[in-house]
Amino acid sequence: MSKPRVAIFDFACCEGCQLQIVNLEEEILDLIGAVDVVEWREAMSEQSEEYDIAIIEGSITRPEDEERIKDIRSKAKVLIAIGACATTGGLNKLKNNFDDLEEVKKCVYSDASTMPHLETAMTKAVDEVVTVDYKVHGCPIEKAEFGSIIRSLLLGKAPEIPDYPVCVECKKNENVCRWEYGEICLGPIIRAGCGAKCPTASYRCFGCRGYVDDPNVNAAVDVMDKYGLTVDQLKSKMVLFGSKQGPTL
Amino acid sequence: MSIKKLNKDVFKSFVDSMIASDQSVVGVKEKVQAKGNKFAFGPLENADQLRLDYDVTLIPPKKYMLPQTETLLTYEVKGESKQHVDEQKLILVGVHPYDMIAINQMDELFSQDEYDTHYMTRRNNITVIACDVVNASENIFASSMETAVVEKGFDILLTDLGKGKEYVAEAITEKGEALLATAVDATDADDKDIAKRSAIQEANKKDLDKHTLNCKPSELSSLLEQAYEHPVWEEKAKTCFSCGSCNTTCPTCYCFDVQDLVNWNLKDGQRERSWDGCLLKDFANVAGDHNFRKQKESRFRHRLYRKGKYVPTKIGGQVACVGCGRCVGACVPDIANPVAVYNRLLEDIKP
Repeated sequence: MSKPRVAIFDFACCEGCQLQIVNLEEEILDLIGAVDVVEWREAMSEQSEEYDIAIIEGSITRPEDEERIKDIRSKAKVLIAIGACATTGGLNKLKNNFDDLEEVKKCVYSDASTMPHLETAMTKAVDEVVTVDYKVHGCPIEKAEFGSIIRSLLLGKAPEIPDYPVCVECKKNENVCRWEYGEICLGPIIRAGCGAKCPTASYRCFGCRGYVDDPNVNAAVDVMDKYGLTVDQLKSKMVLFGSKQGPTL
Repeated sequence: MSIKKLNKDVFKSFVDSMIASDQSVVGVKEKVQAKGNKFAFGPLENADQLRLDYDVTLIPPKKYMLPQTETLLTYEVKGESKQHVDEQKLILVGVHPYDMIAINQMDELFSQDEYDTHYMTRRNNITVIACDVVNASENIFASSMETAVVEKGFDILLTDLGKGKEYVAEAITEKGEALLATAVDATDADDKDIAKRSAIQEANKKDLDKHTLNCKPSELSSLLEQAYEHPVWEEKAKTCFSCGSCNTTCPTCYCFDVQDLVNWNLKDGQRERSWDGCLLKDFANVAGDHNFRKQKESRFRHRLYRKGKYVPTKIGGQVACVGCGRCVGACVPDIANPVAVYNRLLEDIKP
């Protein structure tokens, strides 16, 4: 059997998730031993129109991006979205909180805002435009999780992607709950898989991996009451990675 | 077997000599990252780090017999596999009675039916130094669960006779006896010391009671017999995050998940098991994407049934909640307290 051809494409993002793949370091040799990488702008100059697996980084923020992602989808057998920008829209969705994008552009780019390459539209996650087969969550993605998902696919088996909250990993790490410090930690409603990195480093969970499939919003509201906090305070913490998504709405 | 008395200095050098020996020594230490007094079991570098006056640790010492994640075997795809058994010797210092009872229960569970070599090998290589509780934690209810004192499972039991100035140490196994013999300056405990120890233990039987169960633990099984359709499950589970913190902090939760992780060559890999929790949404998800406990309330109910009814049938009626209170503190929406749930049932049902 010939090795599956993999192409990696980027859209609106910081390219940090691709960098995480580069950061596999020695493991990269294993990766390119197992698959045939045919296009990857950040790491090589070759390009290709023929591939089996498309790995997509970044969110869809311009009409021309929509055309490009549809074209990629039509060529790929499997499409994987990697990183918060691609899986949920992530930080890029902050601009969706404003009604008038012209004003946003002016505020960001000042006099240059009318330049044609700065055209902009409301941010979409990749699955708001095309079908996504698998998601590798996080800002940035976890190298180990990326590797294990790719290996699962190569074996033809469904990858294990956690659908439980960050608290699971946080407790296993023996952290003191950030709520005990009076912080609004998003851990109880955010998908695990990161190893609870932020709480383990004494920060609250910022929610970069997106909500679990069925977050208990009622519980969140109750908890805010219990701690003498307001729902608006909770929402203000959810906006960074969760703007215009599920319970943040 | 002997009962010794160790003053502060003798105790300190006893612990330091353990650390200097070729065995790994873990004990209760203050959690450095935490602002308040929070404690965790970890490797001891010197006797001064040991905090036997701790109230409760963030997670129980079960992690030394059943680690958060462990490799069970390495395999070749369609080929041979090789068992992985951890044979490291360990001295575990400062296990409270309720945690000791939880370990005793797990020992029974992992050695019955399918004997679990991975767990039991670790367990048999651990020398346990238990200690009576000096400071009650915020949510302890060991008095209600009859777990405030422990009589077996440990190798040595320590009792602090007052502010860490003097300890009574009783060895009840050969392993414990040999270890205690290394405290060469220890004296034999006299009747007065043993009476003091009894008084401390008797007091703990009453005073570790931040929550009070309104029935005997032995009555829980018949209480639950009649409670399957009670509204409390839905009432409480309404605000459940399904985060499993009540499982991950529980000394008697032992469920695990097993995954085969293949290496990049796709030819060999490792089989790993990790802690799982029955409150997690996918816990009961099986082949074909069928989930037999899809609803939060059924998962919430399951945990309380495990503790009060299902596990007791496997271990001679012992209730599988030891009253450590960790789940009470770990539950952000504050619904996990088993005493609150059982007492709520008792309002409506006579066991």
